[in-house]
Amino acid sequence: MRIVVGAFADKAAMQTALARLREAGFNAIETYTPSPPGEGHSPLPLVILVAGLVGAALGFWWQTHETGQAYPLDIGGRAHFSWPAYVPIAFEIGVLFAITAGVVGFFLINRMPQLWAPVDEAPALRRATSDRWCIAIHTEAPDQARHALWRFAALQVDEVPA
Amino acid sequence: MTGPTRDDRGITRPRLGDPVALSTSNAAMTEHVSAVPFRSQPFARYWLAVAPFGALTAVLLGSILYLFYAGVGIWGIDWPVVWGFALINYVWWIAIASGGTFISALFYLTRSEWRNAINRIAETMTLFGAVCAGIYPILHLGRPWFFYWLFPYPNTMDLYPQFRSPLLWDFFAILTYVISSVLFWYFGLLPDLATMRDRATKRGWQIFYGALALGFRGSSTQWRHYHVTYGVLAAIMAPLVCSVHSIVGLDFAGAATPGWHSTQFPPFFIFGAFLSGFATVLLLVIALRRLLRLQDWMTGRHFDALCKLLLTSSLFVGYAYTMDGFSIFYGGEKAEIVNYTDRLFGYYAPIYWGAVLFNVIVPQLLWIRTIRVNQVLVTLISLGVIVGMWFERYTIVVGSLHRPHLPSAWGLYHGSLWDWLTLMGTVGLFVFGILLAIRIVPAMSMFEMRDTLEQQR
Repeated sequence: MRIVVGAFADKAAMQTALARLREAGFNAIETYTPSPPGEGHSPLPLVILVAGLVGAALGFWWQTHETGQAYPLDIGGRAHFSWPAYVPIAFEIGVLFAITAGVVGFFLINRMPQLWAPVDEAPALRRATSDRWCIAIHTEAPDQARHALWRFAALQVDEVPA
Repeated sequence: MTGPTRDDRGITRPRLGDPVALSTSNAAMTEHVSAVPFRSQPFARYWLAVAPFGALTAVLLGSILYLFYAGVGIWGIDWPVVWGFALINYVWWIAIASGGTFISALFYLTRSEWRNAINRIAETMTLFGAVCAGIYPILHLGRPWFFYWLFPYPNTMDLYPQFRSPLLWDFFAILTYVISSVLFWYFGLLPDLATMRDRATKRGWQIFYGALALGFRGSSTQWRHYHVTYGVLAAIMAPLVCSVHSIVGLDFAGAATPGWHSTQFPPFFIFGAFLSGFATVLLLVIALRRLLRLQDWMTGRHFDALCKLLLTSSLFVGYAYTMDGFSIFYGGEKAEIVNYTDRLFGYYAPIYWGAVLFNVIVPQLLWIRTIRVNQVLVTLISLGVIVGMWFERYTIVVGSLHRPHLPSAWGLYHGSLWDWLTLMGTVGLFVFGILLAIRIVPAMSMFEMRDTLEQQR
């Protein structure tokens, strides 16, 4: 298995090439781009929502438990279960859970940290985080992929072992 | 259309009607912004800027060490004014910090095109503002080595915090805010750290940025999750920052002290946070665009937008000042009226009127369009706002505490030398921290600027 990487000058050129590569039957394609190539779906917002709700519920329950059972304090005769006062801390803990879940979830879902991957060996990829829009094709027939990339106006084509 | 006018050093002045970027080349922008951390462009002015603030940071360390040795008696606090500079500065700094999150998160959600060039500066400002704020409550504890008693943890002393107290809410709010701000800042940095890793030519920098970027390489999967997550995080950060500053307001409103016990405090504090945040971002943008030569991407458009926001929040603050007086006289409680009248005409009146002057009256100059792009006047107005906001905190903390319900308990307060040194020290730490940060991380969010530049083309 080989990885063939082609670098394009801009997003439009890359997208044109991408469509034509798919027509030509290349399927195992990944793009590497300096800014988001487009919109897409992700399960992470749901994860963040659930984590936030769980955090808020836990925070609320925790305060109820502490002021009711664990350490009941009589403060001027106020009710032990004075729930409106628990809302701010419950909200803050919910937010803390949600944001932590978002960031940690992003790393988990992308299997990061992954400091090295085979595709990194391609010199073209060095500029994929600056000003080149790259297409990487995983293929058993690297020659065909190289020709296709050159034909669809790649500025540079590299081949590395997968 | 004529091109931007440049002076003989190739620097452009902000002008009305500027586009959001004067140069739309992605390659040039990436090259320029990433060159700063690699020190491939020498600039001596940087070290001239760093030195005085580094010295002030040393002053802060010295004052903290002496405080830990001698105790809070070295400060001006006493009965009845038990909350002095420490609380004034705490609220002042957390307000400045909040403004940064507001710019970076809320204006991301509104898709404001001017936000992308300054959000890194705003977020970095938030980090160091929150650090400066977070120092003070611990210094103010008197026995700072027991700071962990703030946190509810099982212990054998039968000691437990009071969950119904806004002061404990504040502990959680600040904890959440600091952690979330660091995570949001770092998450927003990931693609730029990857850019830095790939552009680094020296082995040390490659390892440093490579480790920090954690293997972000801009694959379509990474971008898909990244884009969605970033938007959701921004949508959470915006209400978080409002909750944090509301709770800071409740720290005061929860007490039965005249001048504090008011339902308008949470929004009043948020207005103040916006005002001081916008002023600080303006000052940093004016300074850093010159220092790092970012004039092509921080243009008259940014000055115009930020100044309009400064003006708007100044009107909000003016409304809050008015309502403060109105509700006190409408409420008719004697102690509140005595306290408020003393605020207007008493010993601390110059400080109150200074706050009105700098926060409400002077910013009205920004109605004039040409003033909004005049760097000298904008700098002066913003500095005035920052001083004015400190005056406002002084009025709230000291002005209220020195006239409690019982006239026999009235008293005056003055900050001591150590109060002033600690205040100046945190100013030093704030600027020192930001100046160090922009030598390590890109001062502009490069990946978001790419979108802005593409839309400009």
